[in-house]
Amino acid sequence: MDLFLQFLTNGLINGAFYALSALGLTLIFGLMRVVNFAHGEMYMLGGVLGWFFTTHLGLNFFLSVALVAAVMAAFGLLIDRFLIERLRGEGEEPGILFTIGLSIFLANVTLLVVGPAPLKVAGAVPEGALFIGPIIVTKLRLMAVAVGIALMIATHALIRHTRLGQAMRATFQDPMAASLSGIRVARVHAATFALGCTLAALSGMLLASIYSAQASVGGLVSLKSFVVVILGGMGSFPGAVVGGLLLGVAESLWGGYVATGMVDVIGFVLVILILLFRPQGLFSSSSERA
Amino acid sequence: MPSDSRILLTLLAAAALFPLAVHDPYVLHIAILVLFYVVLASSLNLIVGYVGEFSLGHTAFLGVGAYAAALLAQKAGWPVWATIPAAGALAAVAGGFIGAITLRLKGPYFVIVTLSFAEVLRLVANNWIAVTNGPMGLAGIPQGFLQDKRLFFYAVLAVAAVTLYLCYRFVHSNAGRGAVAVRESRFVAQSIGINPFGSAMLAFVLGAGLAGLAGGFYAHYITFVGPDIFQFSFMASMIIMVLIGGKGTLIGPIIGAAIVTLLEEYLRDMQELRLTLFGLIVMAVVLFLPNGIISLAPKLKRLRPHAPARPVSADRGVL
Repeated sequence: MDLFLQFLTNGLINGAFYALSALGLTLIFGLMRVVNFAHGEMYMLGGVLGWFFTTHLGLNFFLSVALVAAVMAAFGLLIDRFLIERLRGEGEEPGILFTIGLSIFLANVTLLVVGPAPLKVAGAVPEGALFIGPIIVTKLRLMAVAVGIALMIATHALIRHTRLGQAMRATFQDPMAASLSGIRVARVHAATFALGCTLAALSGMLLASIYSAQASVGGLVSLKSFVVVILGGMGSFPGAVVGGLLLGVAESLWGGYVATGMVDVIGFVLVILILLFRPQGLFSSSSERA
Repeated sequence: MPSDSRILLTLLAAAALFPLAVHDPYVLHIAILVLFYVVLASSLNLIVGYVGEFSLGHTAFLGVGAYAAALLAQKAGWPVWATIPAAGALAAVAGGFIGAITLRLKGPYFVIVTLSFAEVLRLVANNWIAVTNGPMGLAGIPQGFLQDKRLFFYAVLAVAAVTLYLCYRFVHSNAGRGAVAVRESRFVAQSIGINPFGSAMLAFVLGAGLAGLAGGFYAHYITFVGPDIFQFSFMASMIIMVLIGGKGTLIGPIIGAAIVTLLEEYLRDMQELRLTLFGLIVMAVVLFLPNGIISLAPKLKRLRPHAPARPVSADRGVL
C-alpha cells in the first residue's frame, strides 16, 4: 500500500507537467486547429533556455522562469504572425507538414548549438527529501509542481477573466462574428499560439529542474501532449489537466508494477482505445470530426 | 494519362541498362537506395496523395516487412526469393488490420493514431527480446543468391517495377478514381455510390504491402534490422520525398526520391546541419511550392513554342 501511494505521488507529479504542456497544445491544436508537431520542441527549448539562464548565466530561478516565458512568447508570436498565418484556412495538412519541418529544424539547430548532452536547470530550492507519512518527495519536485499549478491557475484566469481571454473565446467560437465585432482575429491567433508555446516551454523548464533538458526529447513530448489532448477532449481545459494527471499515474503504476521498458506504450494504447470507443475525449460532449 | 505510362516505362528501361554502363560499387549503392526510396515514396503516396489522409505510421509496414524477412530467413531458413514476397504479404495483413481501425478517423486523428501504431511497434521491437533481440537488433541476415551489388540492383528494380505497375493499375482503376473522388469531395462521391471506406482500404493495404516488400529487401541488403527502422526520421524522409516531388501524381514521388536520396548522400558529412537544412526545405516547400516540383512541369511546357494550346484557352475561359 505504501508503495502504491508512492507510485501515485510520482505519477501525479509527472502528470502535472504533462498537463501543463498539454494545456498549451489544447490551445494550439484544440482551438486553433494547428496540428503542431513542433510542440515538443517548444518544451525542449524551454528546458534548454532554462539551463542557459540558470546554470550558464547563474540567474535566479524565478527570474529565469519569467525570461523563458518572455522569450518563448515572443518566439511563438513571430512564428505564428509570419509563417503559420500564411497557412491559415488551408486545412490541416500544410500545418502538419510545416510543423514537422519546424520541429526537425529546431531540434537540429539546438543540437548544433548546445550538443546532445543532458543539461541541468538549477532549481529554486536545495536538494533534499520530505517525508509525508509513508511517501518520500524531494523539495525540488514539490517546488516545481507548485510553480506548475500556479501557472495553470494563471492561464485559467487569463482565459476566463481578461479582455484577451474573452477575445480568444469569441474568436474560436465564431471567427467571422468576432472579426465583425472588431476583434483583430489575426492578433488573437498569434497571442494564442504564443501562449501555447510559453506553456510548453515552462513545462519543459520545470521538468528540466527535476530531471534534465535534452535536445532530442521533443518528439516523444509532442506525442504525449497529443495523447493527453485527445484523452481529455479537444480544446477542453479540465480535460487537459485531468488527462495529463491520468497519463502520469497510468505510466507510473505500469512502470512500478508491470514493466519499466514499455511505459511509453501506455499513452499510445490509451489514445487508440479512446479514439475507438469515445472519440470526443473524456471531457468533451460533442463528437466532432473524429 | 498515357504519357505517364510512357515516362514510367522509359525510366524503368533506362534503369535496367544502368548497371551495364556503371561498375563503380558506390554509384550502384546510391542507385539501389534511390530505387528503394522510390518504392517507399510511391507506396506512401497511395495513401497521402490518393486517399488524401496523412499517414505518419508508414514505417510500421516497412518495419514489419523488414523484421518478417529477417526472421523468416534466419529462424526458418527461407530463401530470399520467398522472404521478400512474404514480407510484403505480412505487411499487407498488418495494413488491413491497422487500416480497418485508422481509416475510420480523419484529419489530425488519423495522423496521430497511425503514428501511435508505429511507435507501439517500435517499443515492442525494442522490448520483445526473445523474438526481436531488442535494441541489439537482428544481425547477419543471409543474402542468399544476392551475392553481388548488381544482383541487388536488379532485385530492387524488380520490386520498384512491381510497385509502379501496381500503383499505375490502382490509380487508373475504378477504386483509384473513386479514392480521388472521395478525396476531392466525400459527400459528392458517396452520393454517386462510391464507398469511401472500400477504396481507401484498398489503397492502404496496397501501400502497406509495397512498403513491406521494400522492408524485406532492406533487411537482406543491409543484413541488419533493429528497432531504429520504426523511427521517425525514415518517416520524415518519405514524407519529404512525396511532398517535394508532388503528391497525388505517379512521377512526383520518383523525382522526390531521387532528389532527396542524392541530397542526403551529398550532405552526409554534416549530420545535424543536414537535418537542419531538411527542416528548412520542408518549411519552404509548404510555403512556396505546395504541390511539389511536378507542379512546375505544366509551366515549363507552356514556355515551349509548340506546347498544346490548352492553357491559353483555359486562361481565355476565365475572361
